[in-house]
Amino acid sequence: MLFFSYFKDLVGREVTVELKNDLAIRGTLHSVDQYLNIKLENTRVVDQDKYPHMLSVRNCFIRGSVVRYVQLPPDGVDVDLLHDATRREARGG
Amino acid sequence: MVLGLRQFTQRTGEGAGEPILDVNNGEEIMRVQPSVSIALANRSLESPGTLYITSKQVVWLSDVDRAKGYAVDFLSLSLHAVSRDPEAYHSPCIYTQIEVEDGDNDESEGSDSESVGVLDLSKVTEMRLIPSDSSQLDTLFEIFCECAELNPEPIEEEEEGHNWIFSADQIENEATVGADSGWHFFQDPPNSIGHSNGDHDLANSVLQLQINDQRFEDAEEMERDNDSSKH
Repeated sequence: MLFFSYFKDLVGREVTVELKNDLAIRGTLHSVDQYLNIKLENTRVVDQDKYPHMLSVRNCFIRGSVVRYVQLPPDGVDVDLLHDATRREARGG
Repeated sequence: MVLGLRQFTQRTGEGAGEPILDVNNGEEIMRVQPSVSIALANRSLESPGTLYITSKQVVWLSDVDRAKGYAVDFLSLSLHAVSRDPEAYHSPCIYTQIEVEDGDNDESEGSDSESVGVLDLSKVTEMRLIPSDSSQLDTLFEIFCECAELNPEPIEEEEEGHNWIFSADQIENEATVGADSGWHFFQDPPNSIGHSNGDHDLANSVLQLQINDQRFEDAEEMERDNDSSKH
């Protein structure tokens, strides 16, 4: 649940979601659920040559299980906070 | 569970009919959208048809050919989106990406099978659903989102396994509680055994001693109270 909470805090920020099929989509994080399904808005495809048809998509829903990486805005990563949160999670879990 | 798109031909009734669902496992229809065309991979439109969104899968059935229909489980839908840019596709549509077996999404393979004229459904990684009423796109998108959330990864079964362990602990705890209450029941029989062994007097006197102690304390207090009231 730690990552769920963490991603919820990132709602409204720009992220890049890289899928396991190599597609990378950049957009504003609209919402995330407990399965780490991700909804993006104002999306654009990073590799537009490879996926030209995705250009048109403004918002999309990405299944959590197909996400390989989520690239975060550097200032959206509070290392100390995450450090504490992971320790709390480890203790509580 | 097999990933990817598949043929769907099980229909009920006469005419176009309706898809036969796995109602025993709780599958239910969330939305029926008539007049939807479908485009698989880079193939041309197939129409007319009806879209059935169920709690488990997306089914498209041709309105004219009962043998023609496709289905894909929500578990295989990696991504879905509303596409409105006419440059990307000539009609506004729900654009979906489908996860296939082997993770082999080599486009050349798709075009190979297309050149032969037979489309291998299990290798189709893209599907577009084009409703004639494009004002329904946002609603359909939201229903897709809801249904996707109804279908988390089967990995969840492992967590259920953990729950089983928790349940077992709970059963153990309950058993311990039961044993505790049973222990109280066994408090008395030793006294009975004491009686039958001829230790009647000993056991009885110990019991009486305990009882007398308590009564004695109470009585003493009572007496003191009585004494103080007398004085």
